[in-house]
Amino acid sequence: MMMISSGTAFQTLRLAPSLFKPPTLQTLTRTLSRHRHGLLRGSPLLPSLLRAVSSPALQPSSPAVEEDKVVAKPQWKAAIDFKWIRENKDLVVANIRNRNSSADLELVLELYEKYLALQKEVERLRAERNSVANKMKGKLEPSVRQALVEEGKNLKEGLVALEDDLVQLTDRLQQEAQSIPNISHPDVPIGGEESSVVKKMVGSRPEFSFTTRDHLQIGKDLDLFDFDAASEVSGSKFYYLKNEAVLLEMGLVNWALSEATKRGFTPLTTPEIVRSSVVEKCGFQPRGQNTQVYSIEDTDQCLIGTAEIPVGGIHMDSILPDSALPLKYVAFSHCFRTEAGAAGTATRGLYRVHQFSKVEMFIFCRPENSNMYHEELIQIEEDLFTSLGLHFKTLDMATGDLGAPAYRKFDVEAWMPGLGRFGEISSASNCTDYQSRRLGIRFRPSLDTSPTNLKKGKGGNSSAPTQFVHTLNATACAVPRMIVCLLENFQQEDGSVVIPETLRPFMGGLQVISPKFK
Amino acid sequence: MMMISSGTAFQTLRLAPSLFKPPTLQTLTRTLARHRHGLLRGSPLLPSLLRAVSSPALQPSSPAVEEDKVVAKPQWKAAIDFKWIRENKDVVAANIRNRNSSADLELVLELYEKYLALQKEVERLRAERNSVANKMKGKLEPSVRQALVEEGKNLKEGLVALEDDLVQLTDRLQQEAQSIPNISHPDVPIGGEESSVVKKMVGSRPEFSFTTRDHLQIGKDLDLFDFDAASEVSGSKFYYLKNEAVLLEMGLVNWALSEATKRGFTPLTTPEIVRSSVVEKCGFQPRGQNTQVYSIEDTDQCLIGTAEIPVGGIHMDSILPDSALPLKYVAFSHCFRTEAGAAGTATRGLYRVHQFSKVEMFIFCRPENSNMYHEELIQIEEDLFTSLGLHFKTLDMATGDLGAPAYRKFDVEAWMPGLGRFGEISSASNCTDYQSRRLGIRFRPSLDTSPTNLNKGKGGNSSAPTQFVHTLNATACAVPRMIVCLLENFQQEDGSVVIPETLRPFMGGLQVISPKFK
Repeated sequence: MMMISSGTAFQTLRLAPSLFKPPTLQTLTRTLSRHRHGLLRGSPLLPSLLRAVSSPALQPSSPAVEEDKVVAKPQWKAAIDFKWIRENKDLVVANIRNRNSSADLELVLELYEKYLALQKEVERLRAERNSVANKMKGKLEPSVRQALVEEGKNLKEGLVALEDDLVQLTDRLQQEAQSIPNISHPDVPIGGEESSVVKKMVGSRPEFSFTTRDHLQIGKDLDLFDFDAASEVSGSKFYYLKNEAVLLEMGLVNWALSEATKRGFTPLTTPEIVRSSVVEKCGFQPRGQNTQVYSIEDTDQCLIGTAEIPVGGIHMDSILPDSALPLKYVAFSHCFRTEAGAAGTATRGLYRVHQFSKVEMFIFCRPENSNMYHEELIQIEEDLFTSLGLHFKTLDMATGDLGAPAYRKFDVEAWMPGLGRFGEISSASNCTDYQSRRLGIRFRPSLDTSPTNLKKGKGGNSSAPTQFVHTLNATACAVPRMIVCLLENFQQEDGSVVIPETLRPFMGGLQVISPKFK
Repeated sequence: MMMISSGTAFQTLRLAPSLFKPPTLQTLTRTLARHRHGLLRGSPLLPSLLRAVSSPALQPSSPAVEEDKVVAKPQWKAAIDFKWIRENKDVVAANIRNRNSSADLELVLELYEKYLALQKEVERLRAERNSVANKMKGKLEPSVRQALVEEGKNLKEGLVALEDDLVQLTDRLQQEAQSIPNISHPDVPIGGEESSVVKKMVGSRPEFSFTTRDHLQIGKDLDLFDFDAASEVSGSKFYYLKNEAVLLEMGLVNWALSEATKRGFTPLTTPEIVRSSVVEKCGFQPRGQNTQVYSIEDTDQCLIGTAEIPVGGIHMDSILPDSALPLKYVAFSHCFRTEAGAAGTATRGLYRVHQFSKVEMFIFCRPENSNMYHEELIQIEEDLFTSLGLHFKTLDMATGDLGAPAYRKFDVEAWMPGLGRFGEISSASNCTDYQSRRLGIRFRPSLDTSPTNLNKGKGGNSSAPTQFVHTLNATACAVPRMIVCLLENFQQEDGSVVIPETLRPFMGGLQVISPKFK
């Protein structure tokens, strides 16, 4: 999830809880089932139950528009554990506060209570209708039969209306509840980004006996990239890599893939155009003014901002066998980001660009193992950056810096002489079941942990209820920032740049990028 | 330009030439200059000259809509050599016919004559206005002055209207002329695709002593790709590469880059999001129902279908020094194509997909060298495919198969056992000055070919007029089709696939992809 901030959805749809004083549900239901008779569904003359109970702020003068807002239908549903949220209300509230989330827990719980009540009422009406239907099975006086027919008709109409309302209420509840962020690991520091805790520090600041140049200047001197042409052809913050920079990119990608594969990760390349719903299910917002996501015209597709999205989606809507876990992937993709609102902050050169190559690790695992794999992922990152000879620190990111899906996030920041400070080069997040509840990825735990279970026979160990897997993602190598680090840290007085030994085998043995003499 | 068909633009804008019987220009100009007085520009009450002379078929009942169609303003202008077209009318007409182009040469020439006449008329009016202005400089009778003032005013209004008309006529002329395809090399066979001539045949059809599988089955058996998950996450014709297929992709890309670099090509990576205008300037149609181009929502940008576009654009609107030519680039990019209308024809598996990796060669050169470099490019392709051990043929493609930008195109088709026929794996096109006239890429020929020119001193050799460069493009490696070839041609009876020796150093020494036993 490096560099994309996620969460905080549907703000325009939220109503202030203080305005929220509905009439009792029972009364309304009765009224509705009586008065709906003969009226068209959705007629502005008679507001539906949902609007009545949830939208006192609506102006009757523009019912159509307002109704659109309320019932904006989600394309998919997250399997949110409402019971757990209700039972852990204080924890959830504190977490929302700590993460500066705009999620509205009170509203979610109110909607949930209403949902439960409405569901109960629907069931009650169904039972009543069945009972009326049963009464009509015998021989009856015509007047009694007529009364029953009338009652059944009324009940049916009321039921249809309530069922519609239940659908709408469910959608609304989904929308509101989906903006609740994942809970946070107990060790996550509480506060803004500045509260993040340094977990590890590797190497030391390089000392230069000459005036250093930033990567833009080095790249210009060594003819390594072209921002000017890209600005004409594509727009600002696009670039061509040229000459040894192409070797460097290919070398970094091959090296990172190779290192991760060695450690048991399955290499992938991924689609870079995905359905918007998959982006949402991973916890990103593909629409809206400040979206980081490029959308494809006239489709429901968009460009990926990270391979986390297509890799997370590779097991969407499936039940994995317990024996397949953990599933460890390492994916190479290009990533595309609008970088809306990123003007000003360290935007020079390759630091923040619209398109870049990235090698991303991703793990699907049993819930009890996700903390362990989170440590494994950050360890791999640290090993990789250490072997490149970078000076970096690992941070346990504070609550205020976590995207909605993350339970805990470790960032790595490397020393960038051009910036004169540490800059983010990677990120490793444990998303626990936040993404899997949206992507619908479960596993069926084996029960055969003791020999006694063998007696149950063949079907025995598949009878356990399914659980949601945990997902984790971590950058192995975000190419442009890595190029920034390598050029700036390994620049020499003669204008050349020394390639770290680790990378040389992946760059045809190249040891140094030297100035070209033409 | 492999796999994208280009050309045939603006069909809906064209009017039948037989309907085209304008009044004489001189009369109209006069009428207009007189009647325009006091009327708002563009008022439907009085049609502008352009509509009067060029659009007799327009219905007066919907002038706004029809006017929109006629004056749809191009965002850029091609430097089309109209004089040459007029002087070579028969060649151009025959070429349009041979290439099944829907360009309308008669209309272009008519518009061009009108353009010249209107330009002349504008100049005449300007001179007249100046003469009136000069007459007013001396002392004059008030009645004479008044008459001159009136005449000057009328002339000015007429001129403003005519200048507007000239702008619109120029735009219309551009639109029509831009759809004229490049002329064809004299050796290009005339006819449809079936008339293409085999230029070379390499290797022989592999013989198998066992029942062969197609690449989809091989990929399934060896766990090399996942189309099913990609179909859920992204849509049909998307895919994940997995395991050794990722190594194969990276190996192919690195190998192709390395081979081209060895031959003096400068390696590049490119933006994959570009302005739509650059796509148009390269001769592709980014808009319209059957476009192959994905557009980005709410921008004027789109995804590239080939690196030819951003590489062609890298020197857009510039004058290159003669000494810099030839400029040879080899670019690695991902390519994105809607493949609209491609249903049915060899669409199984990796053969035709929405996204793929490609290494593309591109040359900017002096006009007199483009045929030579075209031969060099096809030779490089043949060397590359030979070194992989493929059985293939090179075709000199017939006029009917050439996209609008191509002067000549050599395709390479390799034997694909799964298809049971040859399938296109690469394409090399000489676009002469078609793209450079649109992209605005010129060079200034040096004049110092003989020592006598040295006498002219420092500035002497930069005084030659600029000329348009020629551009050429050629596929070095379109990864998915190469994977199809390798898997299908080098499959073994035991289910494994042998990696060609050439690629092994780029795949960590891997010699064979073997079935996995889990």
